Amino acid sequence: MLRLALKSLLAHKIRFALTAGTIVLGVTFVVAAFVTADSLRATFDEVGADINTGLDFTVRGALPFGEIANTPPIPDSLAGDIRAVEGVEAAEGGLFVDGVVPVDGSGEAASTVGPPLAGANWLEDESLSQLFLITGEWPQGASQFAIDVETFANYNYELGREYQVVTPTGPRAFTLTGTMQFGFPENAGAGVVFTVFDTATAQQVLGFEGLFNEIAVRAAPGADLDEVRDRIEAALPDTAEVITAEEAAEEFGDFFEFFIGPLQTILLTFAFVVLFVSTFIISNTFNIVLGQRVRELSLLRALGATPRQVRRSVLIESLVIGVTASAAGIGLGMLGALGLGALFDAFGASLPDGPMPLRPRTVVWAFAVGVGFTVIASLVPAVKASRVSPVAGLQESTGDDGGHLRLWRPIAGAALAVIGLVLTGRGLFADFDSVTAQLLSLGIGAAVVFVAVAVLSPLIAGPVVSTLARPLPRILRTPGRLARDNAARSPRRTAATAVALTIGLALVAMVLVVGQSLKDTFSDSLSSAVRADYIISTQTISGVPKTLAEDLRAAGAGTVVGLDEDLVQIFSPVAPDRIEQTEITVTDLAAIGEVANLGVTEGSLSAIDPASGLLVNGDRAEEWGLSVGDPVELVLVSGETLTVTVGAVFAETQPPFWDDWLIDQSLYEQAVAADAFEQWVAVKGAGAEPESTRALLEEVLSAYPQANLEDRQQFQENAESNLNTVLALVNVFLLFALVVALVGIVNTLTLSVFERTHEIGLLRAVGMTRRQLRRVIRWEAATIALYGALVGVALGLAFGVALSVAIPDEIIDRVSVPGVQMAGLVLVAVIFGLLAAVFPSYRAGRMNVLEAIAAD
Amino acid sequence: MTSSPTQTLATAARAVAASKIYGSGDTEVRALDAIDVDFEQGRFTAIMGPSGSGKSTLMHCMAGLDTVTSGQVIIGDTDLTTLSEKDLTLLRRDSVGFVFQAYNLVPTLTAIENITLPMDLAGEKGDEVWVDEVVGATGLSDRVKHRPNELSGGQQQRVAVARALAGKPQIIFADEPTGNVDSNTAAEILGFMRSAVDQMGQTIVMVTHDPVAASYADRVVFLVDGKIVDELADPTPQGIRDHMTRLGA
Repeated sequence: MLRLALKSLLAHKIRFALTAGTIVLGVTFVVAAFVTADSLRATFDEVGADINTGLDFTVRGALPFGEIANTPPIPDSLAGDIRAVEGVEAAEGGLFVDGVVPVDGSGEAASTVGPPLAGANWLEDESLSQLFLITGEWPQGASQFAIDVETFANYNYELGREYQVVTPTGPRAFTLTGTMQFGFPENAGAGVVFTVFDTATAQQVLGFEGLFNEIAVRAAPGADLDEVRDRIEAALPDTAEVITAEEAAEEFGDFFEFFIGPLQTILLTFAFVVLFVSTFIISNTFNIVLGQRVRELSLLRALGATPRQVRRSVLIESLVIGVTASAAGIGLGMLGALGLGALFDAFGASLPDGPMPLRPRTVVWAFAVGVGFTVIASLVPAVKASRVSPVAGLQESTGDDGGHLRLWRPIAGAALAVIGLVLTGRGLFADFDSVTAQLLSLGIGAAVVFVAVAVLSPLIAGPVVSTLARPLPRILRTPGRLARDNAARSPRRTAATAVALTIGLALVAMVLVVGQSLKDTFSDSLSSAVRADYIISTQTISGVPKTLAEDLRAAGAGTVVGLDEDLVQIFSPVAPDRIEQTEITVTDLAAIGEVANLGVTEGSLSAIDPASGLLVNGDRAEEWGLSVGDPVELVLVSGETLTVTVGAVFAETQPPFWDDWLIDQSLYEQAVAADAFEQWVAVKGAGAEPESTRALLEEVLSAYPQANLEDRQQFQENAESNLNTVLALVNVFLLFALVVALVGIVNTLTLSVFERTHEIGLLRAVGMTRRQLRRVIRWEAATIALYGALVGVALGLAFGVALSVAIPDEIIDRVSVPGVQMAGLVLVAVIFGLLAAVFPSYRAGRMNVLEAIAAD
Repeated sequence: MTSSPTQTLATAARAVAASKIYGSGDTEVRALDAIDVDFEQGRFTAIMGPSGSGKSTLMHCMAGLDTVTSGQVIIGDTDLTTLSEKDLTLLRRDSVGFVFQAYNLVPTLTAIENITLPMDLAGEKGDEVWVDEVVGATGLSDRVKHRPNELSGGQQQRVAVARALAGKPQIIFADEPTGNVDSNTAAEILGFMRSAVDQMGQTIVMVTHDPVAASYADRVVFLVDGKIVDELADPTPQGIRDHMTRLGA
């Protein structure tokens, strides 16, 4: 049976290649996802190990909750305390602050896409430091700095000259004394721009006076590390902690999981979409092929093969396809990872270059999904094949399945549809403990709905396809008539072929609907919620230095309001069981009303005491049962607690501009030691004409080249174009599913053409030209594609609407359908269909008429 | 090519020194060996011969389904050997009718649609009166809206003959049209073909190995090893059998 299965595969190489090809694509995607994520992990693990070589311990602020990136600073006096601990050889404090921007000789500011623009200090003890001097000298005193070699090479710098550096405490001039690099090799910094000062200068200009981010500690040679650690711990206040270098390295690597993990999950999700679509294609291909091999199978049965043996031969065939496709997919996956890198680059989200590790886990997954999906796809066809009776070959078979739709189909289809809809509905509207569980419920629900569509679709495919193709006979006469009839003659086949396209397009349509709803909600609420004439922001994660807003105020730019965010935990005696960990907005409560329309529904902005007032969004207030005058406690990452009182409740939330909870910056600054940045600066011009303010703003901003000045219109357009980029990227990934669908149409048509050899010969004999024949096949494909597309867009529309309704109102409060894009999708699908017909119609045209007629 | 046959021509089709050679050297096979044959207009000719005699090849070459290696094949006044693949297709569509052994009909089209298929492919209306007459002659007027799988084997073949007639071709070729049916059905089909010649003035060339079928023809041509070895006019089944025996087939 194995030999039979192999021979059958080899006899139909093209079909084999096409079938395997769809799985190869899916596996390629899986492998590329893992390799890309592992590459990032390896890169950051290396950086983590690099940072922590040469030292034994790191002392840093204790973090009651949140990520290590939020770690609060510690007093610099701790360095001296630690040096005094028995068994400690060296201890030095270090700073690493994002948002420090050197400006080169031609006025160009250094910039990165992603990696930080770091301000740092160099250490006296070289082995504690990972900063290495390459040329010149380390900076000394308040007016010198060094930069990393890559920035030095990429921009216009000379040693010994004076340059502007936009520090957290404002733009300042420094003389460049040297170049340095972070670790070895050269790119160990993974694209970070370094601006380095001596320790005292760094503390001063980075806004860390009397503070360090962390203290690097080396134990004396031969000292018992556990004992030293215990002694250091004893010397530290509660607000600081000591960890070993290994722990620090691991933590550093793990930290990046916050985006590597989701990235991997997202890529794998797309991979599974592709594999899911492939399953339908493969199942359909197997079904058609086995239908055509009824004669062969019944001969086997007549010669004594048991149903079990027939079933096994089909499964072996699928196993071989799965294994071959998985192996090919692994190879292509490595290329795919490079391709992904290029794709992200093209969309302006570069990932750092690194090794491309093919971990055993990746290989196991590749084979598991490749073989798994193929075998699952062949289960139904295998069972069907085993039911072929020994005399079946003696009866005539046209391969059509016209009136043989059985009763189980509507029943099973309806049952699946109900299950799928319940799961989807639950995913959309029920409360979940974790986002993962919710997405899983949604995903499985959607998958079951698609299966239901696949089961039900043959019931309507015949008449619907006939109706859709009604204009064809009129436009293309007889070829159009035949195209229409061929598309409708085998509803099961047409439906199974179309379903792949349906799934792909449903997802694209859903993304488009949700995207459009998001955009419309955003732009509408933005125009009603934002009163500022101008908004200043920057690409750097930290934001812009607070000095920017101060400079603007000093220049008389009107009302200037900074907005920043920080992570807090929220408690309230009003709702003792509740705790929420979230970002809150820190701003100027007295002035916020001038740049933003918060829509205060309870209390008033003017009555709020900045030193203790809290603004709460209405939905949150309702959840918590809070009203004006209620006490709330905010725990900062430093562990410090701010006790505040609800001063007003408001309706409009505008993330990321401002969050559900707002406090005044004066209150925040009291509690937080180093806070030199603001995420946004909103400006309401003093004059009636916003344009008159612009020149003034631009003049001040010339000292802050990293800052983007946008008026409301530009801000909105920019936000929309960012969203468009994300949507485009998602659609590029979904395109792979559409490519699989295309292969599916090619497969079905090729097999149908083969099956209709005699008929084609007859048509050619009685005078159908090749051109007419090609037209028949082309428009059959287009009709199938149109059917798949319309079902897909309708389904996607339903999903998109449901999702838009389910997403909280502050993000999406309406349903907008991009009609033109939807129509465009259908058109693209038809073009896909026409493309898919190129190869099968070429083959049909090349058939020898005589041999075709002789075929049966 | 013209759409109506020229009445003055005595022959509807003819082959002149037509040879069809497969392979070369030792493996050379002469399927047709310099055949000269005329098929007169308004006559029913049967081609007979043992398996491998070249009778099907002759028909295919005459009908423009296959090409000869040398010599000429002429339908009406058109020399097929000068035509491109596309022109051959158009010739088949406009000037030749076909009846094959089985599965003559496109399963998705109704009987009447099958009958008018060549005209429809040409984008022509055709002669509706004539089509009605042909349909009437099949005796299937009440079943023309049915699809092939709703018709019996004999009815399907009658529809196939009707299709061949409908375009008023210069000549109709039938390849074992009764090869797949029982003798009663065969009689029904052959009777219809006979009447098409007698009453409608059509020209039919039929390949068959069945002496009874061949006896419906005006003339039988015997082929052996790619050559015409004998002819018989106004044949009877017994006369044909005798001839076959003599030829040692």
